[in-house]
Amino acid sequence: MEANKIEFFRTKAKSIRYQLLQMLYEQKAGHIPSCYSMLDFLTVLFYGPHIRFEKGNPGFSNRDKLIISKGHAAMALYPIFADLDYFDSNELKKFTQPGGLLGLYADYRVPGIEGISGSLGHGIGMATGFILSDRMDKIKRDVYVVIGDGECYEGSIWEAAIFAAAHKLHEMKVILDRNELCILGKTEELVALGDLQAKWSAFGWNVIAIDGHDYSAVDKALLESKSCITKPTIIIANTTKGKGISFMEGNASWHNKIPTQDLFERAFAELSQEEAI
Amino acid sequence: MALMRDAFIDELFEQAKADKKIIFISADFGAAALDKFREELSEQFIHAGISEQNMVDMGAGFAISGKKPVLYAMAPFLLHRAYEQIKSVVSAMNLPVTFVSVGCGLGYDHATFTHFTPEDVAIAKCLSHMEVWTCSDSVIAAELSRHVMKLPKLRYIRLERNFMPDLELVDCQKTLTEGFRDFGKINAKTCIVSSGYLTHKAIKVMKSHPELDVSVVDLIRIKPLSNQLITRLNSCKKIITLEEQLLEGGIGSGIIEALSDKGMLADKKIKRMGLLDGFDVFNGDRDYLHESYGLSEKALEQVLLE
Repeated sequence: MEANKIEFFRTKAKSIRYQLLQMLYEQKAGHIPSCYSMLDFLTVLFYGPHIRFEKGNPGFSNRDKLIISKGHAAMALYPIFADLDYFDSNELKKFTQPGGLLGLYADYRVPGIEGISGSLGHGIGMATGFILSDRMDKIKRDVYVVIGDGECYEGSIWEAAIFAAAHKLHEMKVILDRNELCILGKTEELVALGDLQAKWSAFGWNVIAIDGHDYSAVDKALLESKSCITKPTIIIANTTKGKGISFMEGNASWHNKIPTQDLFERAFAELSQEEAI
Repeated sequence: MALMRDAFIDELFEQAKADKKIIFISADFGAAALDKFREELSEQFIHAGISEQNMVDMGAGFAISGKKPVLYAMAPFLLHRAYEQIKSVVSAMNLPVTFVSVGCGLGYDHATFTHFTPEDVAIAKCLSHMEVWTCSDSVIAAELSRHVMKLPKLRYIRLERNFMPDLELVDCQKTLTEGFRDFGKINAKTCIVSSGYLTHKAIKVMKSHPELDVSVVDLIRIKPLSNQLITRLNSCKKIITLEEQLLEGGIGSGIIEALSDKGMLADKKIKRMGLLDGFDVFNGDRDYLHESYGLSEKALEQVLLE
């Protein structure tokens, strides 16, 4: 990938990280590390662009769909949606506030949100309904679903995985945010998820494993996923929870914590450094 | 006379031929009528696998996309196995998904522990937006199929597993609008409220006691209860509710709550007949189970004569 494109993604991702940190710090609510682990691949997805959308028109009939199935991190979409003119950017300041549009979890009434998420394990199943309905209506679109690795503990994930593979739902593009942390610690130390690449492959999926913070690798994987027309695709994005803020990176205890003013300022300073991302 | 599931699906088949938005999804549960549906409308039928959770999330995806999904499974598993999916996705978004279950209550008599469904009314009722319907014969099942597909909403429809003789249906529109039908003397001072299989037993007991001033209400829409039903019951001095549900959250408790909300409880004697918390499980057919649980015709007679 050209250097200027990488710089473009880096600048965009940094801007979104700033906005999220500000938004969550001001309202003292949210999940910063869960958002930050997926922010780099979300940036490439939207600003590549790989996902089809129309600026200012969240209901665009030919849009690709996206579900953040790890719904506690759906707030990562809000600065992006504001940038796409899906709603007034002033809404970001009213995050979780009475009268505000944007809540802590994915609310289907927010323009751009395709369905509720917040409890884990629903996104792929909902996407199977979207895709089969589209096929009946002869609509061609891809449906992207972002799941967490902790979410892979849910049995419904694997029910959906069997179904999607059996029906060869190649329109399904799942991105697995493999940050290796859940609330109480490291997945591999608590209840080991094991070789997820082998598991999804055994379930009949096209599996691509990448560094989820490498813009070039994400870009390539998303392109590659489009060329697979026989199977659903899962991109296993190996990521770092809290990426970009040193004291949050890989630290499970920050899952739903909001920094104090001192730490907020430190985080802000770290994000300003070019090397941070 | 047909099985309720065949009557319901046959009618659905006729509608689905004209309405391609109707999608029938089964969690590996069948019916003779479904064989025809699967063959002739294969594009509108989906086998979900024995995966109720995914079936519900998929149904939500269809509903969000403008389709009219009908989710079909055995009563013990349809809501229970996927309750969080229904609560967090379907109910939360008030999606027009129709849930159809077969074998509610003690319908799977010999199957015992795992297949009894003595709480499906309670768990369905407390889901926001969810309507709860139950059928006592195949005619009502067919009419209900037509009725609900005219305006799909979030609904749970309970069908009996076995053959039931068809009961008299005088005014279909009124019955479905008001959610109940009357048998016997409408002005009787005592009324037995029941549904499904037990409605048939209640009618039998009523007919065997012409000397008693008693009527039977066949409750078809359990939630919401209609104002007409509450007004109708307000004319009674004694109400007996008869059900194969645990008393906690069942039909009887719903009737008492509705009467209480209207300030109509004070002058009435109400007896709830149903399963008691901690009920034991026995081998035996449905009638034997009714005897064991105090729900037999004889037990009902005794309560009537008290």
